[in-house]
Amino acid sequence: VTASIERVVVTLDAASENRAAIDTAARLAARAKAPLHGIFVEDEDLLRLASLPFARQITLGAGAEPFTAEQVELHLQAAAERARQDLSAAATRHAVDCSFEIVRGASEIVLSGVTERDLVVAGALTRPIAGDFRVECRWWSSIEVATGPFLLTRGGWDEVGSVVMLLHDRGPASARLLEALAQVVQARGGALTVICPPAIGGAKDFETWIADQLPAFSVQAKIEVAPAEPAALRRRLGELACRLFAVDAGRSEGHSGRLREYHESFACDILFVR
Amino acid sequence: MTGQTAARVADGTVGSQAAGPSFEFGRPLSPTLLYRRCDPAELPFALCSELEEAPDLIGQERAVEAIRFAMRMRPKGYNVYALGPTGSGRHALVENLLRQQAAGEPTPPDWCYVNNFVDPQKPYCLQLPPGRGAGLAAAMKRLVEELRGALPAAFERDEYRSRREVIDQQFKQRNEAAFGALQKRAQAKGIALLRTPMGLALAPVRDGKVLEPDAFEALPAGERESVQHEIEATQSELEAIMRQVPQWEREHRDAVRDLSRETTGFAIVHLMEEVRAAYADLPDLAKYLDAVEADVKENADDFLAPPAPAADTAGSTPVPAPISTAIEESRFRRYWVNLLVDNGGQRGAPVIYEDNPTHQTLVGRVEHLARFGALVTDFNLLTPGALHRANGGYLILDAPKLLTGNFGWPSLKRALSSGQIRIETLDQLMSVASTVSLAPEPIPLDVKIVLVGPPTLYYLLSANDEEFAELFKIEADFEDRIERTPETTLLYARLICTIGRREKLRPLDRDGVARVIEQASRLAADSGKLSTSMRTFVDLLQEADQIATDSGKDVVGETEVQAAIDAQFRRGDRIYRRLQEEIGRKTIHIETDGAQIGQVNGLSVISLGDLAFGTPTRITAQVRLGRGEVVDIEREVALGGPLHSKGVLILGGFLGGRFGKSRPLSLNASLVFEQSYGGVDGDSASGAELFALLSALAEAPIKQFFAVTGSVDQRGQIQAIGGVNEKIEGFFDSCRITGFTGHQGVIIPASNVKHLMLRHDVVAAVAEGRFAIYPIDTVDQGLELLTGIPAGKLDGDGNYPAGTLNYRIAARLDAFAAKAAELARATSPLGSRP
Repeated sequence: VTASIERVVVTLDAASENRAAIDTAARLAARAKAPLHGIFVEDEDLLRLASLPFARQITLGAGAEPFTAEQVELHLQAAAERARQDLSAAATRHAVDCSFEIVRGASEIVLSGVTERDLVVAGALTRPIAGDFRVECRWWSSIEVATGPFLLTRGGWDEVGSVVMLLHDRGPASARLLEALAQVVQARGGALTVICPPAIGGAKDFETWIADQLPAFSVQAKIEVAPAEPAALRRRLGELACRLFAVDAGRSEGHSGRLREYHESFACDILFVR
Repeated sequence: MTGQTAARVADGTVGSQAAGPSFEFGRPLSPTLLYRRCDPAELPFALCSELEEAPDLIGQERAVEAIRFAMRMRPKGYNVYALGPTGSGRHALVENLLRQQAAGEPTPPDWCYVNNFVDPQKPYCLQLPPGRGAGLAAAMKRLVEELRGALPAAFERDEYRSRREVIDQQFKQRNEAAFGALQKRAQAKGIALLRTPMGLALAPVRDGKVLEPDAFEALPAGERESVQHEIEATQSELEAIMRQVPQWEREHRDAVRDLSRETTGFAIVHLMEEVRAAYADLPDLAKYLDAVEADVKENADDFLAPPAPAADTAGSTPVPAPISTAIEESRFRRYWVNLLVDNGGQRGAPVIYEDNPTHQTLVGRVEHLARFGALVTDFNLLTPGALHRANGGYLILDAPKLLTGNFGWPSLKRALSSGQIRIETLDQLMSVASTVSLAPEPIPLDVKIVLVGPPTLYYLLSANDEEFAELFKIEADFEDRIERTPETTLLYARLICTIGRREKLRPLDRDGVARVIEQASRLAADSGKLSTSMRTFVDLLQEADQIATDSGKDVVGETEVQAAIDAQFRRGDRIYRRLQEEIGRKTIHIETDGAQIGQVNGLSVISLGDLAFGTPTRITAQVRLGRGEVVDIEREVALGGPLHSKGVLILGGFLGGRFGKSRPLSLNASLVFEQSYGGVDGDSASGAELFALLSALAEAPIKQFFAVTGSVDQRGQIQAIGGVNEKIEGFFDSCRITGFTGHQGVIIPASNVKHLMLRHDVVAAVAEGRFAIYPIDTVDQGLELLTGIPAGKLDGDGNYPAGTLNYRIAARLDAFAAKAAELARATSPLGSRP
């Protein structure tokens, strides 16, 4: 359909719920006819912690127990193998080529080998503990360093709701965001709503510009001229039952704190481009 | 000789059983005594179809009275054993009697099995008025269907969802508040909360990264201690929160469950009330419905779960339709009602015949379903046995099948003794089960059992099974034959007519009926009796009907009946014909003319399947000096049965009694059935053996154109035997093959004359003087016939007249004794003394 996405890269780790991200990535790869590449990150924080003399793991069943580097290594190996198998199964299911690698380090290391032509997919939820408590997902920090489109997925592929894009200008980042979003919308289906401030959306040729950005897609975009301040935007996202929110990470609304808030409030996936 | 014999027996004239012509011992029987005809002229109809139907059975008043008495007796143990020969019509009579009685009795209740919600392994039984069980089963299935609609709707309503969200939110907030507050406090202290494989961990953070071990070690000692202290303190807090989580989760589950119960209760109350109202007159049912309601409230999730995915659901693994159906069913089967016994269509008490009485067919079974590679069961898979179906009525069983059936007899006794029907697997019954199965609540049993079986089985059970007498107190003894009188003859004619109508056969004319009645006497082996073997007559009438069909006749007459009788014999007479053929070819040596010392033609009967036929056997005797022994060669080689041995031993008793009082019996005698290669039993040849022995002793030849049958006692009386007709016919056929001489005949016990129902060709030969039947009742009468020499009577001095047979025997024995004494002296160590 398009040559603009070279690979779909799915980032994985031992703390996250990886399966939804793998499934989404595989579907998108199939749609884009792009290879699927999995990167499993071995959390260096865990390894460092395990090397400290007072390291303890607190569990629901056993309380505090010693937490050693050997345990962490074994756990990471098992988690990586599990992720590799899930990735392979999803690739087979959706008939895409796949590759897999394991890296050790901070989150940023993942993105060092990723280009702006890659679509990165990551799970936004860590595995819960004690009912519904989840530690923060490591991938939020990627917002600051991502060079290409980055999809933080939370729900399953078939979650219902609308796709909303916040557009501030007609710059290259907006164009890239629009194109990446079109990929996702075309694959998933559903309506695309583009919210833009009056100064942008009111222009006569705006619709034409949007259409020009999507020559290879059969996506219909509904343009809403609306205030972009946070309170109004939040209200509108709620009304639209937003399941995927796309935004330019270079804007204030694309700040990781703000995106986390939307993500929590509307339980929606986040697609951003810097 | 004949005149002498006639003179001696003149005072022994005997009247026949049928008040016909009399006969004399040792004189040929009149043809009229050889076969008792049924005179068609005495039958008051042209075709038997003119007759009204006969009672079920004739001549079975004793059995009928016993069965009727048993039906009136309600106390435990008054069950019936109907004993009689196979084919005597016991089944039909028993069933008819029971049906007549049952029609006026109340219809028994329906029985259902339902789930025991406390212990599903022990299903409960429910008793309902007849016809109400099906309604309950349908009502419960309808209830489930309605609940599957009503409950999801109730749980979809805003009210429930709002309340549920509140509960979930409360739980979530409590969790997040606790962990969130801890996380914030930790962050403030430079501590990060990390997700570990199994839980959480706290790590010191510097510049957003977990402190490396080297960096930690590089910290001043005080700072290291401080970090460690903070970490440990925070860990304690985290542990405290983690300890509370299970309690929070429990409280959350309880709150959700309470809400679910409340929501379910409101949703189902009116549905349950409908069912309750329909069965308000049955208090026992209320308890069960309460249990159902409680279980639905506890397990509302079963009704909320979506249906099992269909095979074509996109994106999911296909589930075969039977499996998805099974999954669906398994969620709601516990609310179904297993209608075990439905008496809705029953009028009066049931009468059940179970033709395969085993443990499972009597007390029911626990069936299983294969589910995902395992066998599973529940109360819905309990199936009824014959005892369930007959409960409140009557059950007819074949005793032989019951006793040979798989644990049928012990299971029946157990049920009758306990007054309960307990459905158990064979594993449970034998206490070998190691797997968990159902133990359904027993159902009270109120049934009358009628066992139908042969007399031998009845007597065996009476003698060997202590419980039998307790449980089967009524003996209904069926006659195998009845008196042949003008009244019973007419009843028999009506019975033939009834069978013909029931079997849709052509009508018999009076000649045909008469021939059937004559055959009934032949089968009874008595000219004064009629056989009650209905099966035999049904066969005969059907076969005669077929012959009439083949001949294009509308009515079955004597010709067709006779043809059917002949055909029945012919179908099974291969061995008989072979024996006769070999007699004709002298392979089997039977002499039918001339005379021989120590040799006589005995007669035996061979039974092969339904066919019995007689055949002559050459019996020979040899005597020699000895010690008074009569050797039965058959017994010596283990071919003689006990009765035959007994007969031979009686011969010794006779010899001793007649000739041994005044002399030692210094002889040895040997007796043998020549060319006999199989077993011999019965004492019917003991008379013939004695004749052979006495002939050998007297050195008096026996006329070989006679054959002899009859047993003898120690006093020389000739006694009745069985199979007289077959034996006579066997010798008659042998004579026909070897050639009739005009002298041939058979000597029979006089007490067997009443049993004669001989073939027409035999009777005709007698009438034409080609063959004869001689009745005797003493050994002497037989000896005179066989040798033509007077037997002789003992005079006052203890001697027999010279020239008589007994004289010659005594003289021979004296000679043996003298020779024996001489030999004894010669071999004595003292030698002979003057």
